[in-house]
Amino acid sequence: MEIRRPPNSDLPLVTGPSCIAELEVLFPYPRVYPEQYAYMCDLKRTLDAGGHCVLEMPSGTGKTVSLLSLIVAYQLSSAEKRKLIYCSRTMSEIEKALAELRGLMKYRTQELGYEEEFRGLGLTSRKNLCLHPTVKREKSGTIVDAKCRSLTAGFVKEKKERGEDVEICVYHDNLDLLEPHNLIPPGVWTFDGMLKYGEQHKQCPYFTARRMMPYCDVIIYSYHYLLDPKIADRVSKELSKDCIVVFDEAHNIDNVCIESLSIDLTEDALRKATRGANNLERKITEMKSTDAEKLQNEYAKLVEGLRAADEARDENAFMSNPALPDDLLTEAVPGNIRRAEHFVAFLKRFVEYLKTRMKVLHVISETPPSFLSHLKELTFIERKPLRFCAERLTSLVRTLELTNIEDYQPLQEVATFATLIATYETGFLLILEPFESATATVPNPILHFTCLDAAIAIKPVFERFSSVIVTSGTLSPLDMYPRMLNFNTVVQESFTMTLTRKSFLPMIVDRGSDQNQITSQFEHRNDGPVIRNFGNLLIEFCKLTPDGVVVFFPSYLYMESIISQWQGMGVLDTVWKYKLILVETPDAQETSLALETFRTACNNGRGAVLLCVARGKVSEGIDFDHHYGRTVINMGVPYQYTESRILKARLEFLRETYRIKEADFLSFDAMRHAAQCLGRVIRGKDDYGIMVLADKRFGKKITQLPKWIQMALETKNTKLSVDQAVSHAKAFLREMSVPWSRGEQEGHSSWSMADLERHLEKKRVEAISGTEHPGMRAAEGRAERPRVVEVAKGEDDEFGGAGMDEVMAGLDA
Amino acid sequence: MSRLASRVPGASKRLAPDEDELCNVCKSSRYLNPDMRFLVNPECYHKMCESCVDRIFTHGPAPCPLAGCNKTLRKARFRTQTFEDLKVEREVDIRRRIAKAMNKQESDFERLIDYNNYLEIVEEVTWNLILNIDVEETERKLRLWEEAQKAELNPNATFRRVTDQPEASQLSDSSHVVLKKGGTQRRALATSSGNTSTPSGTEESGKRDTGFVFQGLKKRKLPPPEKAFDPFDGWSIEPQYYALQENHNYQWLTTYDSDPAYFAGGWQTRDYYSRMMEEAFGGMCIFLEDEKVAPLGSGDDDVGTQNAANAAIGMKDVVMDDVF
Ligand code: SF4
Ligand SMILES: [Zn+2]
Ligand SMILES: [Zn+2]
Repeated sequence: MEIRRPPNSDLPLVTGPSCIAELEVLFPYPRVYPEQYAYMCDLKRTLDAGGHCVLEMPSGTGKTVSLLSLIVAYQLSSAEKRKLIYCSRTMSEIEKALAELRGLMKYRTQELGYEEEFRGLGLTSRKNLCLHPTVKREKSGTIVDAKCRSLTAGFVKEKKERGEDVEICVYHDNLDLLEPHNLIPPGVWTFDGMLKYGEQHKQCPYFTARRMMPYCDVIIYSYHYLLDPKIADRVSKELSKDCIVVFDEAHNIDNVCIESLSIDLTEDALRKATRGANNLERKITEMKSTDAEKLQNEYAKLVEGLRAADEARDENAFMSNPALPDDLLTEAVPGNIRRAEHFVAFLKRFVEYLKTRMKVLHVISETPPSFLSHLKELTFIERKPLRFCAERLTSLVRTLELTNIEDYQPLQEVATFATLIATYETGFLLILEPFESATATVPNPILHFTCLDAAIAIKPVFERFSSVIVTSGTLSPLDMYPRMLNFNTVVQESFTMTLTRKSFLPMIVDRGSDQNQITSQFEHRNDGPVIRNFGNLLIEFCKLTPDGVVVFFPSYLYMESIISQWQGMGVLDTVWKYKLILVETPDAQETSLALETFRTACNNGRGAVLLCVARGKVSEGIDFDHHYGRTVINMGVPYQYTESRILKARLEFLRETYRIKEADFLSFDAMRHAAQCLGRVIRGKDDYGIMVLADKRFGKKITQLPKWIQMALETKNTKLSVDQAVSHAKAFLREMSVPWSRGEQEGHSSWSMADLERHLEKKRVEAISGTEHPGMRAAEGRAERPRVVEVAKGEDDEFGGAGMDEVMAGLDA
Repeated sequence: MSRLASRVPGASKRLAPDEDELCNVCKSSRYLNPDMRFLVNPECYHKMCESCVDRIFTHGPAPCPLAGCNKTLRKARFRTQTFEDLKVEREVDIRRRIAKAMNKQESDFERLIDYNNYLEIVEEVTWNLILNIDVEETERKLRLWEEAQKAELNPNATFRRVTDQPEASQLSDSSHVVLKKGGTQRRALATSSGNTSTPSGTEESGKRDTGFVFQGLKKRKLPPPEKAFDPFDGWSIEPQYYALQENHNYQWLTTYDSDPAYFAGGWQTRDYYSRMMEEAFGGMCIFLEDEKVAPLGSGDDDVGTQNAANAAIGMKDVVMDDVF
């Protein structure tokens, strides 16, 4: 992700403004890659046009820095100062982005000779930003949140002012002494910086960041702050319409959206919810005898409408409503849940109803309208009050001044569930699974309320912000995302990596040395020859690869079974001679230990092989740059487990609503995960590695790989046997061992200022504008456009037009 | 929203015998007899097992066997409980009854706030019954309201479901069931018939004590009285532009009237007149221009064609049903 300054610094450092379509961009590195330049041009186009875009750019080509330099330049040059909201997935990515931004701003100051008025802040959970001596020691994020709330809630402060002896957090209190829009001096603040500053000035970094958000030029935080409606409404409400929103590493964004609106309920959760409701009841009775006026006030406000009661909605709010339409929020609460005690009884009734539903011993899948009508028949609960549940509960909790909020979490889940199910008629499905597995006899039911439509959660984002940029290393096929998330783009582009030497070698291995097929297809999964061939492949590549090898399996189940069979065949013993063997497990701690050992083994030359799972944690967030990953092997196509009812429901929904065929989606999903895995080993232009796709089915899915991998995949490498692959790989490694300096990529895959000017001059002379000229596209690292006449797609497709059931039968977990 | 669902390992508590799984009467437990079923009676919601119910109530109504409970129960009304929590079970029964009596919709009110106030009052009534507060008074009001509603309803009106009186009153009397069958039911019948038979106008019910008074409640509009059924919807074959006389007095025709050779076969001179007149005036008052403007198929008997026509020109109101 980062571009380092060239080590031989006697090269002329070409710094200074590079001109992109009449915008002066200060780029903090002496050289710019052609694809970075093109990427920035496209960003600029998007921002000018005021629309959304989808950009695919390979990892290791400095995507983040191009993005930041262009947008910051854009911000600071225009009068209206559009705010940038940069969302990424993991904490480490957020930190990286903050560091990049810091470097960029430093460079700008140095270049311009004066410091610009600029604020960039990152936001993460309280757990990472808390300074309170006892609170910060808590391990779980929810407990930190809850404890912090109990120290900082508005009524706690009121009590303190009245002279009662209550504990408060000084770090939070001190903030009120400062000017509200100048809690922290301008500049870019990394999390470390914030913590230090907070410690020095005794002010809470978390709330500093939260309160400063309206006054920032750049905000960097996690997806959830925008997508999870519970948080989004609270954290991101004040952001104005002209903000520029960037979703980086967005290849999984549809799943994040779906997760954020799905709820699972268990019997245990319902029991806890009942307990929570009983507690509330008791509190209400208490309050009636001590402080009836408060309840009366709440009641009076509710008669008017929710928003009125909501004015006091502060940053501490217990929780918020899930994606309620605005008209609902301004409407008055239905009379039958206006009184606190009525509402609690209402909730109890609803929970009891859910409990009766849980008693059923067969699988049920039901649409929200059918659920509602049955609910009404049995308990006389109408749809309308149900919609108000979440918001009403929030109001009640605030009125009761509850502090141990975490106890009410299950009740909140139920209320959210109620609101969602009463609000959305389509795009959701209720699935009750009474048994854990097909063979279980003791019922242990789960009620899944699953969101099927990723577009619902992200819709407010697209509606509210004029420019949303969706970008990642692997977004192919590009048109899938606009379709699934239901938005229109002004720019869709896929970039490749311009390379002077071929630094990675993708190969598809479809058979073993014995000419027997290699596949993870379900029918052949346990065939001896297939497993032996997988084993041979592993042995061979462990032999020839220096340092680290990473292997991805489609699922834990498959990995376990194949490992145990390899054990019997003696495969592992052979591998052991060349490499240390480490395995990923679902347990995060075990895995991080394995990773550490893996790194050590790679560093000291023993070399190691890491066996992991294509949808696991490793495949998503861990980089195997340089010697940590010289070979990556995908053992089989990482399809999802298609027997899952939730997935089936989603497939059906996609087919009926967005006209995406089951097979297309499954294949797309498998390939994006495969591409993610492959991308793990190439993290920069001076990195090199071998990518092996071991399954005969990959041969038909080449077009679904990201363009940059596709272009490196030569046709002769698409149908190899294990021994052929081995000889190719050996030749490749020999080539890579030839000494090579960065100087060689000058002018071709890395431009200095002069090169850039030459390129622009050429463009001008040849009177090429726009992005359609094929020669220019190649020079700028844009992927080839798909030829207009595509190979008859239906035949090409493995499942071409097959019905759902056939597809299901042909796939594997 | 975090997916909270971690299945608690071995959360199989359901099959373990606990307090609830014990019959309150005979003390046998589900542990020994897994097929045991529990029943409750909505009079007092005391739970007992099926065999106890059979044993005690087969020979007619009997008092509840539980100490301190002196309700009289009938076997027919025992049922399995729907909800785990018996309080909720009872609440739902009460709600069922109230939902029948107080079934106003939002559209019945002038303003939203009136509707909300109404809902709150309904909720309060329900609570009174649930918590046994002011039961007498609430019951009285409720009965009055029910009657007032009924009176307001046109007995033949189909747009709102008419609650069937005997059942409702039986439920409302649930606090004091009298064993002798005759009394209550006859009384109930008397009131119901008395009410429905007296033709009571809306202005009359306005003066009456309706139990509750709700602000902003729209007056119910009576549906206009239905007309006699007309299969042709007002269309008639009677001539419009001329009057057919009984006798047009043409000499040469009258002779046939009296000739058995003709009238025996059914000949009527009047039919002949009618035919002649129709042929003479048939084309009158028909203007070709008008006919042209209204093209074929514009009548509402031709809905199918209309939709097809819309679809052809790409109008979007045609719902394409999924062929699957
Ligand atoms: S206000 Fe800040 S420092 Fe205090 S407990 Fe909350 S997060 Fe921690
Ligand atoms: Zn018994
Ligand atoms: Zn009893």
